[in-house]
Amino acid sequence: MVISTQAAAQSPAVRARSRRSREEELLVWPDLVFVEFISAVLFTLSFTLLSVLIDAPLQDRANPAHTPDPSKAPWYFLNLQELLLHMHPALAGVIVPTVALAALAAIPYFDRSLEHQGEWLATPRAWTMTAIGAVVGTVGTILLILWDGQKHVVLWARLTGHDVAEWPAKLNWLRNARSIQNNIAWPESWRHIPLGSKVLRTDLLGLPKVDLDVNLPAVLVEQVIPVSFMVGLPLLLSLVLWRLGIAKTRRDHMIVQFSGFIAVFLTLTISGTFFRGSGMELFWFWDVKPAVS
Amino acid sequence: MVTTERPESRPLGDRVYDAIFHNYVWRSVFRSGYPNTPRNQMLAVATNVFLHLHPTRIHRTHVKITHTFCLGGLSFFLFLGLTITGVLLMFYYVPSVERAYEDMQRIQTDVRFGMLMRNLHRWMAHGMVLAVLMHMMRVFYTGAYKPPREFNWVVGVVLLVLTLLLSFTGYLLPWDELSLWAITVGTNMVGSAPILGEPNRFVLIGGFDVGASALIRFYTLHVVGLPLLAAVFMTVHFWRIRRDGGLARPL
Repeated sequence: MVISTQAAAQSPAVRARSRRSREEELLVWPDLVFVEFISAVLFTLSFTLLSVLIDAPLQDRANPAHTPDPSKAPWYFLNLQELLLHMHPALAGVIVPTVALAALAAIPYFDRSLEHQGEWLATPRAWTMTAIGAVVGTVGTILLILWDGQKHVVLWARLTGHDVAEWPAKLNWLRNARSIQNNIAWPESWRHIPLGSKVLRTDLLGLPKVDLDVNLPAVLVEQVIPVSFMVGLPLLLSLVLWRLGIAKTRRDHMIVQFSGFIAVFLTLTISGTFFRGSGMELFWFWDVKPAVS
Repeated sequence: MVTTERPESRPLGDRVYDAIFHNYVWRSVFRSGYPNTPRNQMLAVATNVFLHLHPTRIHRTHVKITHTFCLGGLSFFLFLGLTITGVLLMFYYVPSVERAYEDMQRIQTDVRFGMLMRNLHRWMAHGMVLAVLMHMMRVFYTGAYKPPREFNWVVGVVLLVLTLLLSFTGYLLPWDELSLWAITVGTNMVGSAPILGEPNRFVLIGGFDVGASALIRFYTLHVVGLPLLAAVFMTVHFWRIRRDGGLARPL
């Protein structure tokens, strides 16, 4: 307990000191060591119980000649595998995770305010920011996955009583991302733009020469559109919240972006884990069958 | 009249207690007395190499479970649990294409408590990935990355990556269909990186396909390389928590 003379002190410095006074502190032995010991015992027991009840899976011996359908990475990489379905593999498999980790590591260098640390969601508006980030991230990711899975075509067919194949040919480029490449009459010359081996001088690094032959519509679909979504939509969200006066401080923006990131990460993981079946197509999770080899 | 005081005979319990705890050998191991006074309680923490990860005193809000949910400690606890069960599994497992799968079956059927050890290792590994992710969220939402703790957050991100890599390298070792294809899918992602992807993939799996060299590389990384690296980063992580004055708390 803070003793009364200290509580009465007016200056912030004194108040800060009084909070740190010895009265507010406990001895690590026994108060912390005891909690740690009990939780170590509880977790040992619960993991042992779990291990007695559920066996770790062991499938058939590895056989390189057999490819199971679908073949999936461990669950914590299924978010990346889900991304892989929508964009260039280099982007989904390497560039996005690298940039995401770098951005994650950079958070403390952007938000350096000292207020309200050491308390859960203590800054004003923290809960609002978390909710906005989580909702926008989840809904946005689900909508994008459904669009790329052509589910809006299915919805249109259901609502109007048409067949999926009757989707107007004029709107074929709206089927999914790939149809922007395939169903628009791009000039043929755009599909092959020879840049030769002078642009990327990989030979300087002792690597094989790269003969660049750029397929512009493919680059648009596999790289430009995904990057503009992944960078543009979060920036747009922050911009809108800033202009509307909802997000005011850097910490606000950090919470929105971090919560959005977690929401996208979880949505992609859940989609990749439970909603992708044979051929990594979208299914309702009760229709997803175990992999067949 | 002079009364002489007879020395009181001490109860048997006290004498046994003295014989055990107040002798030369015991004192050579535990230098502070029994921790039943504040002084001895602080000495118990400060003079013990394992306990001195802690400060001797701690702010009362930090002992509340809901402040941290023990997530960082839980991650460390799971790392220790994985080390113990992992060492036990290493006694029975040979990382060669010929033997790996048969060894897994032997561990499950022939080795006493082998199935339990394998299950513990598997579920603790999943648990550790979850615990580390949730620990990151706890640190973010409590604003505990703010100065002077910026760099410790970066160290934490490195530890997150190491945790994922540890789990990923372990995934190949059972050498069943799940392992082979999960690692094939995962390493193909590495291979798709511009320019350096293919060379990196080649180094990682020691060839063009996931085979015998990939198995021994992943095994070595899983049981020696990555745990040592993780231990180094954990040392830095814990040390900096202490140097920065323990957990973050309101100004």
